[in-house]
Amino acid sequence: MKKRWPIALAGLLPGMLAGTAFVLFNPLTTGDRPAPLQANLVPDKSYRMDDYRGMSPDLASLFRGADRAAENALATPALAKLRIGIVVLPAGDGRPAALAVKISTLSEQNSLWRAQLGTFDYWNIFWPGEGSVFASGYSNYWPLLQDRFLNLLPGIDGEAAPVYPLSAQPPAGHLAGVNGAAGRYAGFIGEIRESLLMAASGEPGWQLSLKASPPPVR
Amino acid sequence: MSRLFWNSFFAGLLLAGLAASFWPLPEHARYRSLTTVLPDGGRQEDFIIRWPDDRIARGSETVMELPAEAATGAAVLEDSTGQRVSAETFRVRDTADNVIGVAARLAGTGGAIADANRSTSNWLVVIPGRGAIFLSQPDMFDTTARQRDTLNGMITLSAIQDPAFWKGRKEQRVTAATPRYAGRILRGTGEFAGLSGSFRETWQFDGLGTEGRAHGRIVLSTLSESIE
Repeated sequence: MKKRWPIALAGLLPGMLAGTAFVLFNPLTTGDRPAPLQANLVPDKSYRMDDYRGMSPDLASLFRGADRAAENALATPALAKLRIGIVVLPAGDGRPAALAVKISTLSEQNSLWRAQLGTFDYWNIFWPGEGSVFASGYSNYWPLLQDRFLNLLPGIDGEAAPVYPLSAQPPAGHLAGVNGAAGRYAGFIGEIRESLLMAASGEPGWQLSLKASPPPVR
Repeated sequence: MSRLFWNSFFAGLLLAGLAASFWPLPEHARYRSLTTVLPDGGRQEDFIIRWPDDRIARGSETVMELPAEAATGAAVLEDSTGQRVSAETFRVRDTADNVIGVAARLAGTGGAIADANRSTSNWLVVIPGRGAIFLSQPDMFDTTARQRDTLNGMITLSAIQDPAFWKGRKEQRVTAATPRYAGRILRGTGEFAGLSGSFRETWQFDGLGTEGRAHGRIVLSTLSESIE
């Protein structure tokens, strides 16, 4: 009888590991990444978002919501699972700097079986003297979760990927895209892509690209 | 022995599957949406912001422990020709005074954006669990914040937040008034997807606080209809 427990455990643990691996790498649920953009409005702009309020941009927050102390401004139940920050998108590639606000909220359609662990991201980007756009997208942090799992396994190289493409097809009922709002971008429509840039220490950075064009003439 | 091993293995598989199915992922606390259906089928919903109480200070401001009037939560970006953009962030309430979401107001001046002494502003209103709504309008006057040319570079908010502005008035419409230049609902997501229509931004003055600062409400009154 004494020898049965080690055998049961020896079966249970690999079983749990295999089950977790199946959920994480199920090819039926993990292949919905949109193609990268040949960006034009914001060509692959890297930015940092250190000055945010609310939910941290890490996997633990996706599983349990905000964990930051002293968030008085957001200390109300309806705001517990969002992040808001003012971002300066740097100048470069023929574009001036832009001021932007990014708001991310946890997706309520998150489902481990469907490989969806993400946030809805909303942007308003304003270029001085030029114009502004709104953008909405869905970021799925599943690749980050897959990587973390692989790093736990013995014999797997623990080096994290430098860039994780986050943009994914949004769950049903939500739209991703860019809408021109004011100035020379009024009426523009387009697409958005975001990636997470891992940092050796401190908060991670992000990379944003937007492609938008004037609406077709009817 | 072998049978026990495989039974345990499949039990492990099952446990992982159950955990993936029933792990309690977080959901948003939400309030019933307080919308009014109008006789013509349109839908009206008002979003309220108490100023300055609902301002969301920037993380860096809370670290520096600035005095309340200096922690504006605003940011300004100005180019060498004086064309300027400012951003402010707020909590948003419904008409029953429940905090239901957050909003960002970005306003810009100059160039292709607005005529002289005026600004154009965008409101990004996000209600967790319901979605987001994108609003854009030309303003009746310049509503951008400015960065002072001083060593500390503190930010001055627009004149509408100055007590002197409210002498002799209780309400100020910010959305430019002509029909051609109405505030527009550009798009929505989630519950607001497929809506189109107009909105109006109005500032109301409630009085002076004990610290001498003006207090009031911003009312974003949206009027929308489904276009899908």
